[in-house]
Amino acid sequence: MEGFGPVEREAAEPVFHAPWEGRVFGLANLALALGVANLDGFRHAIERLPPLTYLSVGYYGRWLRALELLLRERGLLAPGELEARLRDPRAPAAPLASRPLPPAELGAKRPRLREPRFAAGEAVRAANRHPHGHTRLPRYARGRRGTIALVHPEAWLLPDAHAHGDGEHPEPVYAVRFAARELWGEDADPAAWVHLDCFESYLEPLDASRATGGSHGAR
Amino acid sequence: MASQGARTAAAPLDLAGPAAPPRRNGELVFEAPWEGRLFGLTLTLHGQGHFEWEEFRERLIRAVARRERAAAAGGAPFRYYEAWRAALEDLLAAKGLCGTAELDTRERQLAARPPGHDHGS
Amino acid sequence: MEHADDLRTEALESLLVEKGLVASEAVDAILRHYEQEVGPLNGARVVARAWSDAAYRRRLLADGTAAIAELGYGGPQGEHIVVVENAPRLHNVVVCTLCSCYPWPVLGLPPAWYKDPAYRSRIVREPRQVLAEMGLALPGDVEIRVWDSSAEIRYLVLPERPAGTEGWSEERLAGLVSRDAMIGVARAAAPRG
Repeated sequence: MEGFGPVEREAAEPVFHAPWEGRVFGLANLALALGVANLDGFRHAIERLPPLTYLSVGYYGRWLRALELLLRERGLLAPGELEARLRDPRAPAAPLASRPLPPAELGAKRPRLREPRFAAGEAVRAANRHPHGHTRLPRYARGRRGTIALVHPEAWLLPDAHAHGDGEHPEPVYAVRFAARELWGEDADPAAWVHLDCFESYLEPLDASRATGGSHGAR
Repeated sequence: MASQGARTAAAPLDLAGPAAPPRRNGELVFEAPWEGRLFGLTLTLHGQGHFEWEEFRERLIRAVARRERAAAAGGAPFRYYEAWRAALEDLLAAKGLCGTAELDTRERQLAARPPGHDHGS
Repeated sequence: MEHADDLRTEALESLLVEKGLVASEAVDAILRHYEQEVGPLNGARVVARAWSDAAYRRRLLADGTAAIAELGYGGPQGEHIVVVENAPRLHNVVVCTLCSCYPWPVLGLPPAWYKDPAYRSRIVREPRQVLAEMGLALPGDVEIRVWDSSAEIRYLVLPERPAGTEGWSEERLAGLVSRDAMIGVARAAAPRG
């Protein structure tokens, strides 16, 4: 998207601009700890908000709506229940049909069970895939060529699967170095690079003879 | 002094939420010296066991909410440490430690001091 | 009753002292203690230590999580922290284009601008321009690396140490390191005077 103006910063900014933001922060963290969703599912719920909503309700507004969406989908908030409570603070809560299960293990890091496929300095291409579900490969990198800048240790559970409750599928993760000119065209800054963390399944090996300028200075 | 330090280190300052004091880069921000004094007074009193932190915190959250609503309705802009002060005064009065009337009196006395009274002392 | 806040607070403190409930020295001590409290200042201490101790700096660049843990910091959103070092011809800056991932244990919670679409979309697209708008002008031949925290690895920028700080204590050095410098949208502050 284009048309974003300058980054606006607030001096001496408080952590929460209003008390409700802090409440949402606390509720969302608690909901995750209780197993309403995992972190990837929560992020995906934010991504599933309608675009106009996403851009207009602010950061914690997105958290609030994502939380409501997940609670409704998990059957923890009944249809119309929230609206009834807004009309009348004494409206009773609907009984819970079932309770969520707290997660068995916290954190995203898992032991590495096999050797990583790629090595530092190797030329790769990010897959040109556009899944409808959750993924952590941004559009700007899809199909683009880069080189492995860092091979991160261990393995990490794959958000594309985990967000949808399809298991953990831990994979190695790499910081991949993309030239700005590769991402944005020949008019882009020749001295700017984006280092993007990519899961192994997002990457394909690239024939070294076709890689352009991506290996200079990679550490 | 060591035990007081340990007690005050245990005052659970909210890092987030309606009761959390303003910070910049994680550091507490006092817009004026009186805010810091007020903060220090509160924690000193708590450290000496005059009240439980939750007794203060409840009042702080209510005072913040009242002032947020007043500001949203077009009243004076919200200032966190004004809410803090109201909460502390309310708590001190409830505990019989310091009453509103004597505070009012002392404040008037201080206001009556001539300008420059604290220069060159 | 309208109050002058400073007078009211002075009234409060003086009454409490006279009643024997507090000592002003105790209030002073508390203020000093809390102004050192945890938060993003953790990151400033990490940076100050790296500037002061070459062996620590090497450890920090080799394994950020472990070196940061040496100072007692760690926790959620800090499972794996990589520290990236600025140099005269190399500038690092961090973003999470997809949401708002941020190294909480060393920098606290992210500021609103970091989480807004304007920063998230533009810093990868035209970093030199965005940094200049934010007050950091970098010559065209300085390499810019934008680290996009799209997985659970978190990045912390180790800014260059300002000139004129030779022999400074770590505590004094930490005072020069802002959150913005550790995200990479500013330099560490220069010594005043």
